[in-house]
Amino acid sequence: MKEELEKIAERRKQWEEGPLKKAMSRFPYLREPPTKFYTPLDTPDFEFLEKVGFPGEYPYTAGTYATEPLAGLAKLAAMARKGAIPAAGGLTRAGMYSGYGRAEDTRDFYKQRISRGGKAGPNLAFDLPTQCGYDSDNPLVEGEVGKVGVCVDTLRDFEVIYEPYQGELNIDKIASNFTINAPANIFIAMYCALAEKRGIPLEKLRATPQNDIIKEFIARGTYIFPPRPSMRLFKDSLVFITRHLPNVNITSMGGYHIREAGATREQDLAFSMAIAISYLQAGVEAGLDVDSFAPRFTFNAFGGSMEFFKEIAFQRAARRIYARILREKFRAKDARSMLIRQPIAAHIGPSSTTLQRPLNNLTRTVLGAMAGALSGGPPAAFPPYDEPLGLGWSLEASQLMEDVGRILTCEAKLLEYSDPFAGSYLMESLTDEIEGAAWKELEKIEGMGGAVAAIENGYLQREIARSAHERQKRIEEGRDLIVGVNCFTGEQELEVTTTRLVPHPYDPQKRERAEEEQVASVKEVKRSRDNREVARLLGELKEAAKKEDENLIPKFIECAKAYVTEQEMCDVLREVFGEYKPAAI
Amino acid sequence: MKSPPPSLAVEGSREDRKEVGMSEERKIKILVAKPGLDGHDRGAKVVAYGLRDAGFEVIYTGLRQTPAQIANAAVQEDVDVVGLSILSGAHLSLVQRVVQNLKEKGVGEKMVIVGGIIPQEDVARLKEMGVAEVFIPGAPIKTISEFIKAKKESGES
Repeated sequence: MKEELEKIAERRKQWEEGPLKKAMSRFPYLREPPTKFYTPLDTPDFEFLEKVGFPGEYPYTAGTYATEPLAGLAKLAAMARKGAIPAAGGLTRAGMYSGYGRAEDTRDFYKQRISRGGKAGPNLAFDLPTQCGYDSDNPLVEGEVGKVGVCVDTLRDFEVIYEPYQGELNIDKIASNFTINAPANIFIAMYCALAEKRGIPLEKLRATPQNDIIKEFIARGTYIFPPRPSMRLFKDSLVFITRHLPNVNITSMGGYHIREAGATREQDLAFSMAIAISYLQAGVEAGLDVDSFAPRFTFNAFGGSMEFFKEIAFQRAARRIYARILREKFRAKDARSMLIRQPIAAHIGPSSTTLQRPLNNLTRTVLGAMAGALSGGPPAAFPPYDEPLGLGWSLEASQLMEDVGRILTCEAKLLEYSDPFAGSYLMESLTDEIEGAAWKELEKIEGMGGAVAAIENGYLQREIARSAHERQKRIEEGRDLIVGVNCFTGEQELEVTTTRLVPHPYDPQKRERAEEEQVASVKEVKRSRDNREVARLLGELKEAAKKEDENLIPKFIECAKAYVTEQEMCDVLREVFGEYKPAAI
Repeated sequence: MKSPPPSLAVEGSREDRKEVGMSEERKIKILVAKPGLDGHDRGAKVVAYGLRDAGFEVIYTGLRQTPAQIANAAVQEDVDVVGLSILSGAHLSLVQRVVQNLKEKGVGEKMVIVGGIIPQEDVARLKEMGVAEVFIPGAPIKTISEFIKAKKESGES
């Protein structure tokens, strides 16, 4: 083996001094070769079983599962989120991210989708006031109600959204997704309250709240309380779900937002792992066995980019690191604790899309979907090409996004092979590199005391801002090229535009009216409920919030049933926990 | 009533500023603000750093600024330009209210520029409100800094 490597090294030297040098002499302005060639010399210590192994087995480099779940469904394709795909047992999964205006508007949207055969549960986008713990009639949130998602002020709104989900589609048969973080426990409680009102046992509920508060402080911004009380709330959700909601996922985490905020690939992986460790630690500190809750941890996604090979390597490294953390740091025994369960693998990341010549984004997402299919995930051509044009993806763009996945699965048969780059000198080398860099950064963060400490001292925020700034400089200096933006922008280029011809199912007039109507609606709810009961429950909530060891979710359920508003509950918590004040960067 | 968060001066070196032809006394001061609840601050930060590198004095407000807080900061810091970054779709309402607050505080003549996710069809309406320019994704920092400098110069002449 050593002899073989020596022979190759010798030949490499000859190649570099011969054909390569000759080729380079024709490009005197290049300091180094424009392409690199990887050989066994780059992976001298490669051991297949240690580094790769088999799909669905430790260390999971080759894939989370033994076979890619969608590979056997040749007739259907696209993202795991799509409601049309039946999973095991005929149960359906959550559909596309959706929601706008008032609960009635979102309900009508889902009604329409169901009438067209959609069997997926709601994958709910909430508006910013809802995500930040404010009611629609708070003057602070003027202009924002019902814009980026549906507004939910009380259980009434939740009940309205779920009106179309009855019978065969009742909440014991469908799965829901809630992109909610700071007030996640209130929404878990509302779902439980809804179940109780419908006589559905809590064990039957299937849902994934995003419930990943730490990333909000550094990348997404929908925080309410400071990090430490937020971790108390996370602990509450972990314990409550572990005990009472065996089919609900505890969190949907991952560095997607962190990368979109400007982090490098290595920072994405390191920060994601540091955050995961914090959440896992919360469960351990609550006295639970790691295998009792870690299998309910999921990932939303990591970040992506246009660098095809590196993103595939990233996914392989991520699976390996996470598995190692669970097994070695947390001593998990159950294989399911060590898995990265995520609906998509590699992708381009929405920040790779351009406003200029938007159809080029379709081209970009084909690349991303290919990377996804070749990195252990489905071919997810996310986002739809008109993402940069503003709120709401057109139906045309959504259609073509689905078709990319179908073409890559059915025609290109990209899912025919698991981890096709396993053993490649390039890919194994890139995987090791990304993993090594991520471990180093992770150790640095752990040395500071973990993710929360690294937020309190501003380290994570500064690093992300620095990376974003450096990327912008590279773009402006032309070192990073973006087609149609900083290159190939001459007069002879055609600025190909798109039109949205099919009317979007979101009615813009309804969205415009939503705020005014919701303000009236929430006033009416407040007027017609038992306000003495509300005051009593809020008093109890406050006392419970002061006790670190009391789980607040049962209190939230009672509050929800009495039509206490989300802000009323959050204001009590604001009194006890305080509000987050960002550190200066 | 919450007090406004501390403004964050984005410091650059004296050498940077001298190099780009702006002396200490005459450097242009800009407030970069995130109005409303939108938590996506990559663009605002990148513009803040970029304008600092271009020799501006930059104050970045951080997230969750009300229109009143932004106008207050603009007055307190005596800025030349107010830059608003909005990606949440609430730009028409928020910009209107910032502009109104600036007028009410007697500084309605301050230049206001906007960036973020602003659909093409809304640009004209923003300009009618008094916004000097809207910078869409892909606009280089250089375009922003040159626009501001050109406007300042023509304004002073």
